Amino acid sequence: MDELYLDNIDEFVNDHDKIVTYKWLSLTLGVHVNTAKQMLYHYLDHKRKESSAQLHATYLVSGKFEDNGQTGHKVSVVKEDQLEDFKSKMSLVVSVHVYSVQKALLKDSGPLYSVDYDAVKDNLKNCTKFSAIRCASAVPMSSLELQQARQIHQVPAPEPEHKKPAMNGEANASKPSTKPQKGIMGMFASKAAPKNQDNVKDIKTEQKEDTPVAEAPKSKPAAKANPMMNFFGTQTAKKPDKTEKKEEAAQSSSSAEVQRQSSQPEEKREAPAVQPPKDTKKEARSKSKRVVDSDSEEEKMEKKKRRRIKKPEPDSSDEDVIPDSPQQMKTRELSPSPEKEVEPVSHSPSQGNSQKTRKRRRVLKARTFVDDEGCIVTEKCYESESYSETEDDVQATKQASKDPVPAKRPASHKPDEKKSQKKTSANANKGSKQASIMGFFQKK
Amino acid sequence: MVTAEAPRSTLPRTVMFSALSAQKEGSSLLSRPASEDQDQGPVFERLSLAYSPCSERYKVGERSFSRQYAHIYAARLMQMRPLLSERAQQKWGSAVLIKRLCDLQTAEQCCIVGTLFKRMELQPSILREISDEHNLLPQPARAKYISETDELILEDELQRIKLEGKIDRDKCVTGSVIAIYGAERNDGKFTVEDFCMADLPPQTPRPVLSSDRFVLLASGLGLGSSHADSMLGLQLLIDMVTGQLGDQGEQSGAANISRVLLAGNLLSQSTQDKDASTKPKYLTKKTQAGSVEAIRLLDELLLQLVASLPVDVMPGQYDPTNYTLPQQPLHRCMFPLSSVYPTLQLASNPHIANIDGVRFLGTSGQNVLDIQKYSSMDSHLEILEETLRLRHLAPTAPDTLGCFPFYQKDPFILEECPHVYFSGNATTFESKLVKGPDGQEVLLVTIPEFSSTQTACLVNYVLLNVSRSASRPSPPTTTRKAR
Repeated sequence: MDELYLDNIDEFVNDHDKIVTYKWLSLTLGVHVNTAKQMLYHYLDHKRKESSAQLHATYLVSGKFEDNGQTGHKVSVVKEDQLEDFKSKMSLVVSVHVYSVQKALLKDSGPLYSVDYDAVKDNLKNCTKFSAIRCASAVPMSSLELQQARQIHQVPAPEPEHKKPAMNGEANASKPSTKPQKGIMGMFASKAAPKNQDNVKDIKTEQKEDTPVAEAPKSKPAAKANPMMNFFGTQTAKKPDKTEKKEEAAQSSSSAEVQRQSSQPEEKREAPAVQPPKDTKKEARSKSKRVVDSDSEEEKMEKKKRRRIKKPEPDSSDEDVIPDSPQQMKTRELSPSPEKEVEPVSHSPSQGNSQKTRKRRRVLKARTFVDDEGCIVTEKCYESESYSETEDDVQATKQASKDPVPAKRPASHKPDEKKSQKKTSANANKGSKQASIMGFFQKK
Repeated sequence: MVTAEAPRSTLPRTVMFSALSAQKEGSSLLSRPASEDQDQGPVFERLSLAYSPCSERYKVGERSFSRQYAHIYAARLMQMRPLLSERAQQKWGSAVLIKRLCDLQTAEQCCIVGTLFKRMELQPSILREISDEHNLLPQPARAKYISETDELILEDELQRIKLEGKIDRDKCVTGSVIAIYGAERNDGKFTVEDFCMADLPPQTPRPVLSSDRFVLLASGLGLGSSHADSMLGLQLLIDMVTGQLGDQGEQSGAANISRVLLAGNLLSQSTQDKDASTKPKYLTKKTQAGSVEAIRLLDELLLQLVASLPVDVMPGQYDPTNYTLPQQPLHRCMFPLSSVYPTLQLASNPHIANIDGVRFLGTSGQNVLDIQKYSSMDSHLEILEETLRLRHLAPTAPDTLGCFPFYQKDPFILEECPHVYFSGNATTFESKLVKGPDGQEVLLVTIPEFSSTQTACLVNYVLLNVSRSASRPSPPTTTRKAR
């Protein structure tokens, strides 16, 4: 064994053409680093005595070094021929030992580094096993301890959020929720924002806790649906949503729960200021002071909102829908109608049938109507209409008209709309993607 | 050895790291290995010591950016006013009148306390840039933004007044709270006769320790850069600290290094890929960010270190964390290999730590660099001392240095005097021992950038001196030697 390492090193250097550094040797042979250094020296000595082998070595020199009046400790790897030179430059030489042995002459330090890098990489777990210093506290934590440490970090995190609900409520998430709501008239935005924030915040604290993972997918569609809630009034049952909310409240962990409970009373508080003749859920959702036709619309709004929550699984058509709505908002923004408040929600009594699958799409349509002066005006605009796979009738929403246009509601019996109604009902609504092609044909 | 005092001092106890390591006993490593009966090799125990991080004040819990920045200034002035009043009375006599700006009367000698504001023509202003009427193109970045036309203004809670007189305008920066002695002139400007700063805060005395203990300070590792010739130097440093390099004497010396503190810029600037935001998605979809590989490399390096001694990691300007001060600690999910060890401490920037009773306070250098741009001071050490005298880590925040909008407190005010005050990513290594008016002693250290200088600092916190530790691969080229 004594001389075995000599053969080993010989093999590495000559046969495999490797650069043998002390570190690589110590990790490969499993010896202490100092022993490895001595082995290298011995090998070098031995080989040189034996034959004039073409071996090159690099040495490590460290010591006190003066530089511009400042002294420092300098550690260098030098080639053999520079060794004495270096030693003389230092005021105090602390240590010298063989750093590496290799067959070829090295031009730069790159290969030395890569050898060590590879050696360490292969032995990541015990890279310091053979070093000369041991640290008692540097022991990897077991997974249990890790979890404990992480929980300690996490528990304080929800706490500060919890403690400052006031600041968070207004400040936090005001940006994300105001953006989607910009499109709708500002009416919705101001009141709905706090509620949205609460919801968003709830979701955030929920997700922070590691616990109910099932919560996360449920609440995600809720978050997505939130911005759209306010202008897609629908008439799906309120009950499912209510129960859903309650479910969420029941399942969540303590801090989030408290949060939610505090937010629900908040919602309720804000509501009475708005529309007295509504039930609490409705109040919570729609905080607008819309004068015209608010009642039915809000009802429909909520129902549509709730419908979204009810089907959390994203169908492919949902992807269509979701990008649509921001565009809708933008186009609406362009033309705020002063006199006739255009309800930005689509609604119809038939929606009270609570269709299971109802989607929205945007269609370029031309509308013809008689305006105030008695002239017939034709206009093209993008309308979002909701269609379902099972139904034929169409509800469409007015948007982006230059002239004030009354909201299209097939259910209502305004005389102006008869024409448009005809037009829209003419839109055979297949409820499939191809409906958009149909819209193209209808312009003729 | 303390550089400033080296020629003069003959302190018998300036034990340098090298001197310590040179006490070698036993055979040299240039010899045959001993027989295998002897145990494998000496193993020294790393000193474990009391450590407590005190940087809770820099942890920003919930982040709300909807507040104005004026609150920071208000909090700053409110907190520093009593301190400055006290200093003013100490300096100019207890009978000196300390007045608010609204109560000033002309030609009356008094003292006013307020926040400095320096109006600089060349200071980049976003309003000017986007204003159409000026038709200005954005100014290129300059090294210094001071000019001859700068003006100093003192603001307190209600009013502001222009300053003139014996105050060095170029040395002052916006945001410093000072006390000024002088009188108001007829034209409404205030003539300065003297001024004073809050100076060093009180300091708890250092514990007396028996053996020499060291902390290694390094910064600017610059991983992930395109030219990787500094990697061997870094590897040598790690090997030396973990006790693999050198012979027994050096290894036993290295066992006295009780901690490593990495002060920022662990990743190089080239990992900050600005193109990702401007390039179209289809070009950048498959490319990985430069910092991913660099962080992986950092994790492996840290693993080697944490397996052997405790490490504090502070983020810097180019590291993947938030931009505004105080920078939050790097997230442990980026370090899967090394976060398993309890010795890894991910710290914020700025960072306060209490190592064995010795208080370390420092930043990764952004505050110093910012002051350098807006004042005539060039030396990092001088700027460091200035911030200490002002008792404020980053007076230019939030004016020119990004900062979080604090509400009721300004966490950058120094409340307790540190024993070692450092700043990272300096161009050179400098250090100085500063004495305060109440007997405080602070060692100022500017940590050089490792990627360019291959130098780290070893602070002997028992004696409060510091030495450099340079690691060079072979052969040392001329560019590295000359500085």
